[in-house]
Formats: sequence, C-alpha cells, structure tokens
Amino acid sequence: MSAGTQVHANLTDEQVRQISEDLDEPDWLLETRLEALEALEELDMPDVIRTPGRDWTNLHELDFESLVDPLNAAENKDQVGPDEVDVLSWADAVQEHEELLKEHFGSVVDPQENYLTALSTALFSTGTVVYVPEGVDAEDVTIRTEQNSRSLFNYTLVATEESSSVTILERQSTGEEQDEQYYSGIVEIAAGENSYVQYGSLQNLSEEAYNFTLKRGVTDTYSTIDWIEGNIGTQLTKTEVSTLLEGDSSETQIVGAFYGHNDQHFDLDVKVWHRAEHTTADLVTRGVTDDVARSVYEGVQDVGRDAWDTSSYQRENTLMLSDESEADASPKLIINNHDTEASHSATVGQIDAEDLFYMTSRGVDPRAARNMLVEGFFVPVLEEVDVDELRDDLVELIGARLRQRD
Amino acid sequence: MSSDQDHLKETDTEARFEFKKEESSAVRSGKGLTEEVIRMISDDKDEPDWMLERRLRALKQYQNMPMPTDWPGMPDLSELDIEEIVPYIRPDVDKREGVDDWTELPEEIKDTFDKLGIPEAEKNALSGVGAQYESEVVYQNMQEQWEEKGVIFCNMDKAVKEHPELVKEHFMTTCVPPSDNKFAALHGAVWSGGSFVYVPEGVTVEMPVQAYFRMNSEGMGQFEHTLIIAEEGSEVHYIEGCSAPKYGTHNLHSGGVEVFVGEDAHVQYSTVQNWSKNTFNLNTKRAICEENGTMEWVSGSMGSKATMLYPCTILKGRGSTDTHITIAFAGEGQDIDTGAKVYHNAPDTSSTIESKSISKDGGRTNYRGLVHIADGAENSSTAVECDALMFDNESTSDTMPYMEIEESKVDVAHEATVGKIGDEDIFYLQSRGLDDDDAKKMIVAGFIEPITEELPIEYAVELNRLIELEMEGSLG
Repeated sequence: MSAGTQVHANLTDEQVRQISEDLDEPDWLLETRLEALEALEELDMPDVIRTPGRDWTNLHELDFESLVDPLNAAENKDQVGPDEVDVLSWADAVQEHEELLKEHFGSVVDPQENYLTALSTALFSTGTVVYVPEGVDAEDVTIRTEQNSRSLFNYTLVATEESSSVTILERQSTGEEQDEQYYSGIVEIAAGENSYVQYGSLQNLSEEAYNFTLKRGVTDTYSTIDWIEGNIGTQLTKTEVSTLLEGDSSETQIVGAFYGHNDQHFDLDVKVWHRAEHTTADLVTRGVTDDVARSVYEGVQDVGRDAWDTSSYQRENTLMLSDESEADASPKLIINNHDTEASHSATVGQIDAEDLFYMTSRGVDPRAARNMLVEGFFVPVLEEVDVDELRDDLVELIGARLRQRD
Repeated sequence: MSSDQDHLKETDTEARFEFKKEESSAVRSGKGLTEEVIRMISDDKDEPDWMLERRLRALKQYQNMPMPTDWPGMPDLSELDIEEIVPYIRPDVDKREGVDDWTELPEEIKDTFDKLGIPEAEKNALSGVGAQYESEVVYQNMQEQWEEKGVIFCNMDKAVKEHPELVKEHFMTTCVPPSDNKFAALHGAVWSGGSFVYVPEGVTVEMPVQAYFRMNSEGMGQFEHTLIIAEEGSEVHYIEGCSAPKYGTHNLHSGGVEVFVGEDAHVQYSTVQNWSKNTFNLNTKRAICEENGTMEWVSGSMGSKATMLYPCTILKGRGSTDTHITIAFAGEGQDIDTGAKVYHNAPDTSSTIESKSISKDGGRTNYRGLVHIADGAENSSTAVECDALMFDNESTSDTMPYMEIEESKVDVAHEATVGKIGDEDIFYLQSRGLDDDDAKKMIVAGFIEPITEELPIEYAVELNRLIELEMEGSLG
C-alpha cells in the first residue's frame, strides 16, 4: 500500500541537503529531514474513509512526480506581530531559537505520520515560528502566504509560555497561477500551562491547486486552543485540524466553514483526543456544496481511559445547493471512559423551501433570498469566530461566491 | 421491579441457556472448508445440482477473498480459525426436514427446546415455529389457517426441493450474493437449515412466526439461511432467537438473511441473539423494498464473543420505508459491533435508525452504520439516533456512522450521545425507596424501552430478563 514510489524516485538527498543548507540549519534538522525522505518508501497516504465500493477521497491519483518541484519554491510572505512576541521566519528561528525548535519540532505531528507529512518535513523551505513569552497577551499576529511556485512546503510552530495568550491569523492564497499546484502545510502548536491560543486559518488558494494541511495542537494544564478553519480554494483539499488535550482542565474549540463549488473536493478531518481529566471540546463545522463539488467530513471525538470528567460535543451541517454535489459525513465517537458527556450530530439538507417562500412573499427576489439564506446558514459558525478580520474575509468570500451564481 | 426480580430468580434464566447435551449426530462433516466437505453436505441433503454448483462457486469466492482487516476499530477475529470449525452436524433424528409434533423428537432435543420455552411460546403467541438444532431444522409447524391462505413456512432445505423456482430466483442472487463479503461467501458454501417464508399477495399473518436456532456441539459452525418473500400488500413478522451453551473453543455463527418486501408489503424481522460468549457471530442480513413497502429490523444483541452485524435495507421502490431498532449489550470480553445500512435508491423513501447500546465490565459496543442517498432519490429523509450507556471505566463505547448524500432534496440527520448512568437519576430513584441495583436496572429498562415495546410481550419480557441477568452481580 506504500505510495512511496510515486515521487521518491525524483527526490534526492542532495535536494534535501540543499534546502537545509540554504536555511543554515543545524545537523539534527537535516537528519530529521533525511530520515523523513528515506521513510517515504515505507509510508502510506493519510487515511481516507472507505465504504463498500467507494473511497471518499482518492489521493493516489495525485501526480506528485510532476507536482513537486523542491528547489524552485517561490512565495510572497508577511509575518508580523506585536513587539512583545517573536514572529520569525523559519531561517531566523533556526538562528535565534534553536532550543525551542529542538523541543517542539516534530513533537506534535510526527514527521513520519504518513507519506504527506514526511514529504512536507523533508522538503519545507519556508515557515513561521511564533513564540509567546510568559504572561504576554498578544493579538494580531498575521501570517500571509502567497504561493508563486508549482509546489510550496510550509511549516508553522506556535509555542506559548505559561499564562500567555495569542491570536494568530494565517492566510494562504495563490499569486502566480499554474495549471496545477501543490501546497503542503504543517502547523504545530504547543500551548503552555494556562495559556490561550486562537489560530485562525483561511485557505483561499487557486482552484487548480491541491492542498494537504495538518494542523495539530497539544494543550498543557488549564490551556485552551481554539481553531478556526476556513476552506474556500483548491481543487482538492485534504486537511486535519486536531487537538490533543493532554493537560488537565484544558479545552479546545474547532470551528470550520467551507464552501465548495465547481468540481472542488474537500476532505476535512476534525479530531480531538481527550487524554486528561476535566477536558472540554466543542467542534462545529458548517459548509456548502454547489455544482459538482463534494465534501467529505470526518469528525472524531476520542476519549481515553483516563480522561475522567470529559465533555465533548460535535456538530456538522452541510447545505447542498446543487443536485449534482455530494456531501459525505462521518462523525465518530470513541469513548473509553464512562465519566463522559459526549454527543455529536450531523445534518445534510437543502435551503428550506418555506423560508425561501416566506422571503419571496415579502418581495425579496428569489436569488437575493437564496443568497441571504446561505449567508444566514453560516451565521452560527461565524458567530464563533472571534477574529474580526477573519470573519469579515470569510463573509466576503462567501458573498462573492454566491454572487457568481446565476 | 422487585416482583420482576423474584420472578427472575424462580425461573433461573441462566440455566435455561447454559445446559449442554451430549452430542448425538447422524452425520458430521470434517473440520474446515474443502470441496469435499461441501460435496458431502450437498450429498447428505440430496440437493439438486444447481444448488451444489452455487455452493462450489461460493467456496471459490470465499477462498479468493481476504479476511476483512482494514475496518477502523473492528472486532478482533484473530482467534477465529475457520479451518478448526465443524461446518455441518446433522443431529440424529428419524425424520428429515422437521417433525410437526414436539413429542416425536428425541428426548434430548425436546428437552432442549422445552427449557428454552419454545413450545410454550408457540401455544400462546405464534403463528408458526421452526426449531433448528445444530445444522438441521428438527421441528417445523404452522397453524392450518395460514397454510390454507397459501402461506409457506418451511425449512430452507425443504424449500430447495419443493419450491425450486422461487428459491432459484431469490437465493443469494440479487439480495446477498456470495461475493458481498467473505462471510457471505462462506455462508453460501456451507449453509444448512434456516427458514423459508412465503406470504402471498394481500395476506396478513397476524401473529409472528418464529425460528429458534440452537447450537449444542463444541467447535461447530451454524450457517442457517432465511429467505422471506412477502408479496404485494402482505404482512408478516418473523422472529428469530438463538442461543448456545458456552465452550472453551470457539463456535461460529454466520447466518444469511434475505428479505424481499413487495409493493405495499410490510415485513418485521426481530432477532433476540443470545449466543454463548465463545461464539463469533458474523451475519449478513439484507432486505430489498419495493414501492411503498416497509421493512423493520428489530435486533437485540446480548450474546456472542464478537458480533459483526449490520442489517441492510435497500429502498428500491418509490415511497418505501425502513426502520431499524437495535440494542446491543456488551459485558466482559464481548465486542458487539453492530448497526445498520440503508441505501435510498428511489424518491420519497425514508429511514429511521434508533440504536441503543450498553457496555460494562470491559465490554465494547460499536454502532457502525451507513446511510447512502443516491442521486435522484428526491424527497428522501433519514434520521439516525444512537445512544450509549457506559457502566464503568473498563468499557468502551464507539459510534461510527457514515453518511453519503448524493441528492440535495433530502433531510438527513444524525445524532448520538454517550454517557454514564446519571447520578441524579439514581439519587432520585433511591429517594423513592429503591436500592442502587434496582435503580440502575430501572434506568436501563427505561433506556431500552423503545426497543422492547416493538416486540410481542413474551419477547420483551425475555429481553428484559436477559439484560437483568447480565447486570446481576455486576452492580454495587
């Protein structure tokens, strides 16, 4: 089942050494990259859901050989934040924070978790490190990545010290478009004791692009990680947003919004592992499918044997705007401790005919009424988004996409 | 509640399932799966060639299919060695195809079913009864009034000979072909016994018919096949019960059930499964529903070491309806992986799935379900509700639904909850004078009530008793 042969033949140690050398990385990082490269042969693609006769997402058809161009990465990047936090490019972080990287790099997402994480680890040439010292409260950290090359491998690390807080907004878009592009991103968050991290992400890459993103955070005692995950662009997206609740009394919220049209395919995984006492998780995702788009949603709430006093909730709602689109969902509960209150729900439906009738009977033209109802459908998710800028951007992108329709 | 308990003690329910009889077989196949074994089974049944050919074809498919291993969180089947299972044991009875008088059965077998309460139930609540012992149906009877209306209720081996056209058309062809999965293929090769039910157009069989399946011998496999054909506008309720005494080695039950629900017909299929905790229970059950037909699956899974069972309904006709009601109870060492599958392939179809599960003493329950709404199945709706109760921290409760929605004019909802028995509920009941055990039992009884109220009273009582029995001694 290994996918290794696909691209491995094209990649060499020399390329990886070159990337590492350009970034002036210490030996241990180069070693990690080379090990990831070597592991490609053994590793499988990320899991996708399979039911009798159907694969919900097919990653094996991706032609990595032509997509991956490791030494020609090009981008336009902004990495800004307030003075009291370190917001560094990867190259700067390697120089200034080697100990921090040693501690956290690869500790949340195993570089060899699957074929695509290993590929990303071996080849990433850009990234951002956000370090928030003890007691610092920081807002408005923004990371903007505009992809200008065939492939781009990005890495982000967020580490917060005790009783600090930070809000980060990350956006990906495409600058120079090509017929096919590949974006790969890994995000690791290590939230220190009693710290708070809000990480908002808005993916608006070209609709010719393929995207693999894995974002995962680990909580310490009393800490909170809140994710906002917006997916608008790409032809094919496979993402995971997840939190490992390792600290007692830690919390997470994962809010997702997506809008797929044309032949877009979104495979969105949302996962939480409760591994400590008194932890809480709230997963909320809403999305729209139009034209022949397909959405695949997997949500996992996994409560470990020792996760006493767990609260875990999950909701997913999909609105289908077209008959030819498809919406697949699998919300899963894995419960190993009975001292748990857990629930999940998922719905799929269309615009309510009565709502539409009511609005048109009030003189709203049908097209405007429909658009308002779709915008209204996203409200419960948008209300959870604390970052104004991200919320406004999402609203604008959703509105623009709706106005494109007939 | 306390009176119920007294009743429980008096009837000594556990002994009713646990007793063993000396094996006394007329014919017994070798272990494992070979062409020779298949030919021997077919020959012993004096089957027509076409059935032997189907068996051999299924055997080939079985041999070519891998064991399923890639299901997330699937039960551990590594201890199941099919080569060690004896697939066919014909008990030593005088008359093949079942007698219609209990007294004609050998004392051992009659005593078995007496203890299980089958003849008693037949008198009170059933239109007909079939009883299978090992691989063969030993008793089969139906009230005359149904026979007069053209209803057929006979054992499957007999149906192969007496109703070849119906069987040829429906047996493991369109509903559950052997290629469906490895255990369906296994079943197709070695099946023996089971029920054939045919209800003619417009006939309503007012009281349920029941089949009871008993495995007595150690290390055997039971592979009964049930085929139900309900013609247009007819109605029937089929109940199956199953049990076996516990042995040190593993038994295998791999039944096959095919139900054809005609236009406007209504079929209810109820199962109370109480296999011993050394039994692997791996079944394939499926119904095809024509226009405005209704299929109802009611399943109570109490027994077995591991169960993998996902009754499936294919809503083929416009306006057809499916209902699944399932309850799973997993105690120590048990892995009950069960759920439902529904394919909405026509407009105006609806399905409702209600699943309740209870896990305790290290047992695991999993709801695994698939709802597929095909493109064009407009105005279809599905509602899935899964609730799970956990008794302790050694147990596991999983929920794994899959929804594939290709049609936009639909109403799809899935909900699930997992929790422990509420301390407040227990406190409330205790404040009303119940002790802790009784309070828990009452909460569980209330939890599963949506299931028990779908069953005839005798079975509801039986199910409640089984669950109370499972809870005995584990509470405190």
